[in-house]
Amino acid sequence: MNLWLLVWRNSFRKKTRFGLTCLSVMVAFFLFTTLAGVNHALTASVSSINQYRMITSHKISITRSLPINYQQKIAALADIEQVSYASWFGGFFQNERNQIAVMAVEHNSYFELFDEYQIPKPQLTQWKKTRTGIIVGQALAKQYGWQVGDKVPLSSSIWMNRSGSFSWEFVVSGIYQSSKQAGDNKKIFFQHAYFDKGRAYARNSISWLSTKIVPQANVEQVISAIDNLFAHSNSPTRTTTEQVFVKERAQQFVDMAMVINIVVIAVFFTLLLIVCNTMIQTIRERLNESAMMKALGFSSASLISAIYLESLLLLSLGAALGTLLATVLLGFVKQAFGDFLPGIYISPEHYFTVFALVNIAAAFCSFFPAFTIKGIVISETLGGNS
Amino acid sequence: MQNTNDIILKAINKSYQKGDNTVVVHDDFNLTIKSGEFVALMGPSGLGKSTLLHLMGGLDQPTQGEVLIGGQRIDNLPQKKLTQWRAENIGFIFQSHHLLPVLTAQGNVELPLALTPLNRKQRKQHASMALQLVSMSERADHYPKELSGGQEQRVAIARAIVSDPKILLCDEPTGNLDRKTADEILALLAKLNSDSGKTIVMVTHDHKAAEYASRVINLESYILSQNNSLSKNEELLQNIEPEVDDISIGASS
Ligand SMILES: Nc1ncnc2c1ncn2[C@@H]1O[C@H](COP(=O)(O)OP(=O)(O)OP(=O)(O)O)[C@@H](O)[C@H]1O
Ligand SMILES: [Mg+2]
Repeated sequence: MNLWLLVWRNSFRKKTRFGLTCLSVMVAFFLFTTLAGVNHALTASVSSINQYRMITSHKISITRSLPINYQQKIAALADIEQVSYASWFGGFFQNERNQIAVMAVEHNSYFELFDEYQIPKPQLTQWKKTRTGIIVGQALAKQYGWQVGDKVPLSSSIWMNRSGSFSWEFVVSGIYQSSKQAGDNKKIFFQHAYFDKGRAYARNSISWLSTKIVPQANVEQVISAIDNLFAHSNSPTRTTTEQVFVKERAQQFVDMAMVINIVVIAVFFTLLLIVCNTMIQTIRERLNESAMMKALGFSSASLISAIYLESLLLLSLGAALGTLLATVLLGFVKQAFGDFLPGIYISPEHYFTVFALVNIAAAFCSFFPAFTIKGIVISETLGGNS
Repeated sequence: MQNTNDIILKAINKSYQKGDNTVVVHDDFNLTIKSGEFVALMGPSGLGKSTLLHLMGGLDQPTQGEVLIGGQRIDNLPQKKLTQWRAENIGFIFQSHHLLPVLTAQGNVELPLALTPLNRKQRKQHASMALQLVSMSERADHYPKELSGGQEQRVAIARAIVSDPKILLCDEPTGNLDRKTADEILALLAKLNSDSGKTIVMVTHDHKAAEYASRVINLESYILSQNNSLSKNEELLQNIEPEVDDISIGASS
């Protein structure tokens, strides 16, 4: 017989109530963890974006192309550090169902601008020298079992090459890994020069330009300088910082995340009230027992810590189940929809937050019972003939 | 000569403040219970019997006066010290047993020992001994709901004596029991008094209990005899509804 045993037995005294309360804790923490994972996916790509990078695309639509010589024209402007460009290949591997984000990029500058793609130096050097070389995302390479040196044919749903085929020959030169948590490792990059010479039409055009400005530059000024430059040409442009560019697409997700956030906060608050109420009710039912224990010489402090442990047990169990369930579920979602939401991720800190929340909630829930316990007058509670 | 476990109530005043009204329960009350006595405290309802018991056990503090147990004043002990003192010196038995329903008889009896430095094995042994003393060894593994009222009260007594306190304070311990069971419990208390030397103060409405006690105090007459001046208690007495079948046994000393 020790106090922990008493806490344990007391917890399961009202099994139905314990189960239901535990279930509500579980639901709350399930929502909390699920949201944290999805939230990360929704906002991570937005928040970790380089402030000093801009994207210039056709004013009307990103699907329209721009002349390749825009690179030099932009590079000549003030406060520009580097300009690179890329074209959308619209690729797939073997079968249209295996869609892959394949991009032709200006090979000398692109990875200097996008330094979040980490490529071993020898591989990068080799790639720059290899006309048909591709840099493949680590996850993709793993998926198809590609290794450096492998010959890989990729098909385009847009671009026919000069031999009249939509199938293009490539060789794996390197494998990249994104340094960003939310970064996907499933893209393919190849030399724009090869693309431009190889395609049967629309030469000297590109899909978009990426520009890096010097840190002290005035972002707004540079943006208008670029767009003014081409305002009266055949291909007017629209330039945004990368953050804005991605954010525009992600904004609706962010809004959605916020709504869910509010819901989760409400759920948590309700949960707190439910558990708190349960504990208050519990201690009221056991008033006589608590008074008896006090008469036996147990201090208020030890009875309060017992009720804290009881709250903690209830909350921990619910939280552990809910969090576990959400983690497993997110694991499945990530496997199934990883391409759509690459950033699904539950950080270790999240589990720490859960731990902290459980403890805070337990403290909160034993707060009111603590007063009840402290206020017990043994002679009044036990002295009566109740 | 003062024995180590004499209970002395000295010039006790106990009153409650209700708004502008002061309810005086005891005024200038004096009582000495010698170590080893088995005292039955009787008297009409509302006269303050339970209150006296609570004062002796440190569950309540007097408005004025002193409570001395074994020469030590307990009415002015700080809460923490008092709690510890109570755990070591006093065993309580109430009309309701207040056993914890989630623990077996054995677990309930072991409960107070969680406050002692005894190890697990020793706690088990002590609890078994206490259960044996109340003839409940065979029911050690039973939960309170599996026991009869008399058996529950026995377990409560075992719990009260397990940490070997010198004093047992019982508030109507047989109040919920039938005659036969009550007699068994009273015999048990008498045995604890004679064999183990426990000082017992028992509040009871049961006149047969007198047969088991070594001294019977009828609080009503005790207070009257204590105060030469009747007028002092006139007001108090008017508030008491005399019980028809109340036999005044009279205060002895
Ligand atoms: N908290 C309180 N506030 C006001 N009056 C109180 C309080 N507690 C007890 N009393 C009063 O003190 C008096 C004595 O109460 P006590 O319980 O000691 O009587 P008793 O002799 O044990 O009665 P019974 O035989 O019915 O158990 C009663 O008149 C009661 O109303
Ligand atoms: Mg009473």
